[in-house]
Amino acid sequence: MIPDDLKETLQRQIAATDHPREQVMDVVFILQDRFGYLSDPLLEEVAALVGMTPLEVEEIATFYEFIYRKPVGRHVIHVCDGVVCWMLEYQSVLDYLRSKLGIDYGQTTDDGRFTLLPTCCLGYCDRAPAMMIDRKIYGRLTPERIDEILGKLR
Amino acid sequence: MPKLMIDDRKIEVAPGVKVIAAAEQAGIVIPRFCYHPALGSVGACRLCAVKFLDGPVRGLQMSCMVEARDGMVISSTDDEAVDFRRFVIELLMRNHPHDCPVCDEGGYCLLQDETIAGGHAMRRSMGKKRTHRDQYIGELVQHEMNRCIQCYRCQRFYQDYCGYRDFGVMGSASRVYFGRYADGALENPFSGNLIDICPTGVLTDKPARFKGRRWDFQRAPSICIHCSLGCSITVNARYRELVRVEARRNDDINGHFICDRGRYGFAFANHPDRPRQARINGRDTSYEEAIQTTTQRLSEIARTLGPDSIACLSSSRAGVETQMSLKFLTRSQGWRQPGCFVDRSEQNSVTAAVGRLTPERVVSLGEIEKADLILVIGVDPILEAPMLALAMRQAQRAGAGIIILNPQPVSVPFAYDHRPISPDDLCSTLQKWTRSISSQTRTESHFVEKHEEYRGPETPSVPCPLPPVDSLLQNSRRPMIVCGTNIVGTAIIHAAADLARDIHSDCRFPGLFYVLPGPNAFGAAFASAGGKSFSDILPDIETGNIKALILVEADPIFQFPDQERVKNAVKQLDLLVVLDYVPSRSVGFAGQSLAEMVSPAPLHVVIPTLTHFETQASFINQEGRLQQTTPVHVNGLPMSQLTGGKHPPRKFRSDVPGAGARAAWQVLSELEAVLSSTPADSITFADIWYRIGLAWNISVENRTEIPGNLRILSTTVESEPMTEHYRDD
Ligand code: SF4
Ligand code: SF4
Ligand code: FES
Repeated sequence: MIPDDLKETLQRQIAATDHPREQVMDVVFILQDRFGYLSDPLLEEVAALVGMTPLEVEEIATFYEFIYRKPVGRHVIHVCDGVVCWMLEYQSVLDYLRSKLGIDYGQTTDDGRFTLLPTCCLGYCDRAPAMMIDRKIYGRLTPERIDEILGKLR
Repeated sequence: MPKLMIDDRKIEVAPGVKVIAAAEQAGIVIPRFCYHPALGSVGACRLCAVKFLDGPVRGLQMSCMVEARDGMVISSTDDEAVDFRRFVIELLMRNHPHDCPVCDEGGYCLLQDETIAGGHAMRRSMGKKRTHRDQYIGELVQHEMNRCIQCYRCQRFYQDYCGYRDFGVMGSASRVYFGRYADGALENPFSGNLIDICPTGVLTDKPARFKGRRWDFQRAPSICIHCSLGCSITVNARYRELVRVEARRNDDINGHFICDRGRYGFAFANHPDRPRQARINGRDTSYEEAIQTTTQRLSEIARTLGPDSIACLSSSRAGVETQMSLKFLTRSQGWRQPGCFVDRSEQNSVTAAVGRLTPERVVSLGEIEKADLILVIGVDPILEAPMLALAMRQAQRAGAGIIILNPQPVSVPFAYDHRPISPDDLCSTLQKWTRSISSQTRTESHFVEKHEEYRGPETPSVPCPLPPVDSLLQNSRRPMIVCGTNIVGTAIIHAAADLARDIHSDCRFPGLFYVLPGPNAFGAAFASAGGKSFSDILPDIETGNIKALILVEADPIFQFPDQERVKNAVKQLDLLVVLDYVPSRSVGFAGQSLAEMVSPAPLHVVIPTLTHFETQASFINQEGRLQQTTPVHVNGLPMSQLTGGKHPPRKFRSDVPGAGARAAWQVLSELEAVLSSTPADSITFADIWYRIGLAWNISVENRTEIPGNLRILSTTVESEPMTEHYRDD
């Protein structure tokens, strides 16, 4: 599944460390960026590359929210459900996103543009409510600001 | 030694003990899920909350996370603690199914106990419960994930304690899932312990599923006979059928756990073809007739051909009582001394090992965990003594180095130095180390370095360059020499003992640990002293010098490598008597009549015997520890076999169907009594032990209940000189 040239790069990167398994996150993110999500065959290849069992990689992959084990849209919207966001309009942000995109948590829009997921606290409490899209965090969300942010993403 | 007060009880405990364990010593059991004495504390479940009223710690704390310290005043009954625990249990029950009647954990369930103890009786949560899909995790353990309360015991046991990597914890928050990456059988040969440690019905005994509740079972403490370690088990039976085996705590040997072979290997006791009726020449007969016919023919053979023409063979799976009764029988009749081994070199190896264990050197399995260096010679632990592998892993987790001398790498769940020494060089290498150590004075102690991080059973790590073994031994404080008796010969067994003897010094306390080829191989060494192995009497059978053969829980017709040869030889006997509780090849052979095939027709007798689940039996494990089983039920045809799985019969009868068997020692004692014309019905278990006590010159006070810590070593008991009679081939 992993093309040979990429595999070689990964192998070199892994060989340069003392403990191959410490590279597991790096390898997972490189592959996820390339393939969109971490499919079963990819996960098994990661395990073989870093000398872990598939279970051990799965333990990590299912623990972290930014590793996707199922196909996602081009942009994943992670809405912060930390306590401070809760107190500051988390629910209306979520409701607005739901009605605007017509999807609920865990779903992807029909055009494959957006997937909606929650995330634990992003540390943006001073600018709550917040969300994260494509590793970029947006704070002080309002319906207008959400329209503007999503409008820029194709 | 910290002195503290728990619930108004004063106690003093060893330093480092957690409050939850300290309380237990005072007889107070604080509720818990995640804490387990063998797995330690993680503070995951929050159920063990107690209130610290006075002393160095104050307020509500988890008793499994706080070390007992001087001056602590603790209450487990304080209102705040009781309330807290009630809320915790309510929370843990939030997602738990309310279907205890169909859950197989019933009777074993800690969650039920703690729910009642915590006072949570009314459900307040109205929301949906989170649910999971179950996995197929093999034929031994059943998985029902909805019952999980996230105590992490299973994952900690599986990965940390055992070192296997195919079962663990996935997900986060309320989606936490304990299982495998995909459906498939668990790879861990100790996986059955998950059943014992899981406090809920997630992981239950699959073969025993829906066969009964704990209180339906007849239960008894027993001993595993699947290898020479003799782990402690609890046996459960119902309707004359063995149903399940659990680990029984024994800190000297197996700790809290057992291996899967020990847990699931009881099918022989329920075997549908188990001999249940005495047979003469293929025809069912009464026990009395079998005894009478046998004794008549034996007397005849002894009279006409001499007592030397009668040979007896027992085995290392027979109990001490059986082995020794056979010895008493042969002695009283002046027959050949009995053997207990099929193979000569096996007899030699076991005899050598038993002869070299001394009280100063012998260590038990529990002490292996305290080693700081373990040298393993010619053993494959997972195959020959599974729990040994687990003990070695615990030693290594505590920092011990492990060196395995074996031509091939072995599969064990820990990292080790593999020294591939060829079998030819092994003995001389050991001797070289012994010489080098005894000639050196001790150098400054630096402990064995920790080895590379463990990467799984299939990839032993080999740190490079390998430090010389003699200097490692020289610098360790508690080295242990673990030596097999299966593939190595007597020279290596002696060399291992010499090494252990000579590295002893003021600072080093070496242990010697042999692995033997059977649960009572140790006893077999005593019982077969002066006797020959089957391979050594076989020529005498072939030449007609032996005309009668009595096999007592021994199966040479299966075990002797040359099947044709052994069958042809046995056909020439005048009398073949087989006593056994399994449908062995020898039982099958003796259960038929050879009248048409051979003339003059030999006499074939089969007499069924009892397993150690049905009678009291003693076994001496590989460190000389004498242990006894307690019968769990009476022998008889299992109800399921009687009724074909249907409802038990509605007619009463006064006898137990299929209950014709007796303990082998009883049969042998009766043979002896009839042959010596003394009364037979007076021979009891205590009588046998009286005779064994005399023979070994040990005093056994209560002869019906032998203490579990009696060590029978060749230097502490009297027995015939146990020399190795023959050179190794
Ligand atoms: S499966 Fe059992 S042992 Fe494992 S975490 Fe759940 S309740 Fe605890
Ligand atoms: S290690 Fe040996 S004695 Fe212990 S349970 Fe396993 S087979 Fe039985
Ligand atoms: S037993 Fe102490 S937190 Fe679980």
